[in-house]
Amino acid sequence: MTFRTRLLLLFAVAVAAAVGMVELIVSSRARTAFENMEARRVNAIVAQFDKEFQRRGEEIVWTVEGIAESPVAREIAITPDPSAYLSEAGTLASTHRLDLLELVAGDGAIVSSAQWQARFGYKEDWLPAESDWQARPAFLKREDLPDSVALAMMAVRTVVAGDMKLYVAGGRILDREFIASLVAPEGMRVLLYRNLAPAFSPSDLIDAQGPIAAAVLLRPLVERVEKQASEAVETIGRGASAETFHALPLKGSANDVLGVLLVGNSRRDLVGLERAMLRTAVIVTVTGILMAIALGWWATARVTRPVRRLAESAGKVAAGNWGTTVAVSSKDEIGQLAGAFNRMTHELVEQRERLVQAERVAAWRELARRLAHELKNPLFPLQITVENMQRAREHYPEQFDEVFREGTSTLLAELTNLKQIVGRFSDFAKMPAPEMQSVNLNALVAETMRLFEAQLAKAGIRASAQLDPALRPVQADGEQLTRVLRNLILNAVDAMPEGGTLTVRTVAAGSGARLEVSDTGQGLTPEECDRLFTPYYTTKTHGTGLGLAIVQSVVSDHKGRISVESEKGKGTTFRIDLG
Amino acid sequence: MWSRWSVEIKRLAIALMLAAACLAATRPRYGGTLRVEIHESPSSPEIFGVPKGFILTTWEAGRRAIFTADDNAPGGRPFLDNVEIQLGRALRDQSVDLELGKTDVVELGAAELRRQAPGRRVWPSSPVRLMALVFGPRIGDARVREALALAVDRNAIHSVLLQKQGEISGALLPEWITGYAFVFSATADLAKAQALVAAIPPVDRSLTLAADDPANRGIADRIQLNARDAHLNVSVVPPTANPDVRLVETRIAFADAAHALAGVAIALGLSDPPPARNPQEQYQAERALLDGFRVIPLFHLPVVYGAGPRVQGGPVITPLGEWRFDSLWVEERP
Repeated sequence: MTFRTRLLLLFAVAVAAAVGMVELIVSSRARTAFENMEARRVNAIVAQFDKEFQRRGEEIVWTVEGIAESPVAREIAITPDPSAYLSEAGTLASTHRLDLLELVAGDGAIVSSAQWQARFGYKEDWLPAESDWQARPAFLKREDLPDSVALAMMAVRTVVAGDMKLYVAGGRILDREFIASLVAPEGMRVLLYRNLAPAFSPSDLIDAQGPIAAAVLLRPLVERVEKQASEAVETIGRGASAETFHALPLKGSANDVLGVLLVGNSRRDLVGLERAMLRTAVIVTVTGILMAIALGWWATARVTRPVRRLAESAGKVAAGNWGTTVAVSSKDEIGQLAGAFNRMTHELVEQRERLVQAERVAAWRELARRLAHELKNPLFPLQITVENMQRAREHYPEQFDEVFREGTSTLLAELTNLKQIVGRFSDFAKMPAPEMQSVNLNALVAETMRLFEAQLAKAGIRASAQLDPALRPVQADGEQLTRVLRNLILNAVDAMPEGGTLTVRTVAAGSGARLEVSDTGQGLTPEECDRLFTPYYTTKTHGTGLGLAIVQSVVSDHKGRISVESEKGKGTTFRIDLG
Repeated sequence: MWSRWSVEIKRLAIALMLAAACLAATRPRYGGTLRVEIHESPSSPEIFGVPKGFILTTWEAGRRAIFTADDNAPGGRPFLDNVEIQLGRALRDQSVDLELGKTDVVELGAAELRRQAPGRRVWPSSPVRLMALVFGPRIGDARVREALALAVDRNAIHSVLLQKQGEISGALLPEWITGYAFVFSATADLAKAQALVAAIPPVDRSLTLAADDPANRGIADRIQLNARDAHLNVSVVPPTANPDVRLVETRIAFADAAHALAGVAIALGLSDPPPARNPQEQYQAERALLDGFRVIPLFHLPVVYGAGPRVQGGPVITPLGEWRFDSLWVEERP
């Protein structure tokens, strides 16, 4: 990953993180504000409910008081036979718009019941149990009906005539009409659960339209409120359809939970707000990232351009162009780096020149040493021969001719040797440029190995040619390649004085070719491998050390590559790759 | 002296004239149509009895029947020219019509009796209507039937809903016909009823009840409540819903016990009782009909008619509840 890319990524991440953090904070604040607003709205609904509850209670009390004070109530209270008033409660309830009305004798026996006429004579023991109903406000009561049970707001008043007493118990059923009277703001709804059955009954959970759908979802909340007899809050559902319900217990006169008021507040607005904020954040983030990329591109370009130039210059230096310099356009760290780079390359150039000079001197010294060494060997016999000839001339004139004959032949032989030495040096110096033509490498190998058959057999070496039939002709100088192969074969022969196996292998490698020469000789150490292609370096007791240098020179002239693999004691393989 | 006698004679003449006027006002008059409403709606005129002295001239099933005075009636022509009977009229509507002067004679139920204006002329018959619970074939367990019989609090129904009309009874025939009706128990025993129900599998404790006459719905509701106290689950359903138990009323058409029992047995779908030669056999026959609690007699009720101010003469019905329109005439008032 480039420095510029990293910088751009850094900018983008920084922008995204900043926007994300802002979104998080704004979202959190919005949620808090929404919840505060929700709490205020719920409180308003609850207050409205309390007010409506109180108003209806007062209205019921007032109505029941009116009935209790009516002449007919007094008449029923004092009558010895109340059976004639069986349907009176129904008439009175209808007249006074009450859902429930019972006229109950002093002993608790029902005289007349509007909601369940057939219950006449049955006892309402809870009425005589209370000593003073006159001051009691309206209260919630679970009321049995012929086919059902209802939750009602009731009030009781007594009619006393002498020692006769009549209870007037009237009320109105809390149903969807009551819920409809509560005005809930948009997004809120009011539900009423009437605790009428022993277990949770979905049909008893109503809103202004009647039983609600999916009432079972609220079952845990309702049951919790019933159990704890205290307020509870729970969010039902997920996402935009989620709703937060505040549930309040509605208690009867015995402090038992007879109903649960549920104020539901849709979280649709909050979710919508959060989504809008998220959308905005995404847009801002994307825009920010794009702007960061654009600005970052521009900024990083300013920062990285000198660095890139520096990198390019370093690349040139690595490629051998040591004199490369970069322009210093600033005085900041990049400018200092560029100056240091320029100083470095300057030093490199100077050091290279010094090294070249030193190497040149060393090469000349090595050449001189080699020449001296090579020339010293034939010169010594020359000197001895001449001195023998002089000594024979002075002390053994009769043997001079014979000594002269032997001496001159020795001299000629050594002079020939000297000429060969000089010729080899001359050959190395005058390595001709290769004349490229299409060469069948397999044929070249086979022909060359045929030349060495006798020599290899004499040295006890088994020759093996593994030629790839798929090998295609390569562009090369056949004569120089033959020379390369000959050198490598001679080296292999020298490496196997005790005999062994010589393997020459050709392999098709893409459009090029590979030539391998392996022996099973003594092998080379890694240090020897490193120095193997250095001119005048040899591991043998004879030779000029120019053979492998010539091989490398030829391969290099063919744009090829030579390498060596060797393991001490197991043998050596020279590998030539031609393009 | 003459003048004094003259004054006395004038006074006497005025008194005579007034007496004659009064006599003329109470004397039966011929003519006019008597308007009658009943809640029954017989399907054919044969079921419908023809009033004495009249002949059926118009029959509109379920709507009305018109009887015209028979000039050749054995006891002489009735005073009325016609009697127009409107059929299938609810008891409450009948009372309203009577109050508004739309009709002359109506049936009165217990609830309507409570509401009658003071001075209203009312004629009750002897208790000739049997109100009973009749079980259908689905309730095969006699314990259920007996439990319901023991659960019904007849006293409360009689006192309040029936306004003490008629009499409580556990017999098919009323006391005034047989003299032994009191032997059949009509007392509620809730504890025994609950014990019986406890031995009944819960699935068999539910049954449906319907009142054939909508006017008796209140009684059915009370029976439902009584049954609930005995832990029987009774639902009151419309008569068309093929109920397990029906609250029925049947008319006892004969004063003779044997004929009356046979008629009741036929009306309630019971087997024909064997002919009885003496009261003991009559009692055995009735007891046999009630064994198994297929029928639970509740009350014997009278037929009660009320008349408007236009109606003169009377009574409207005999002790057996038969019409006596031949003794009535109508007085047109300005």
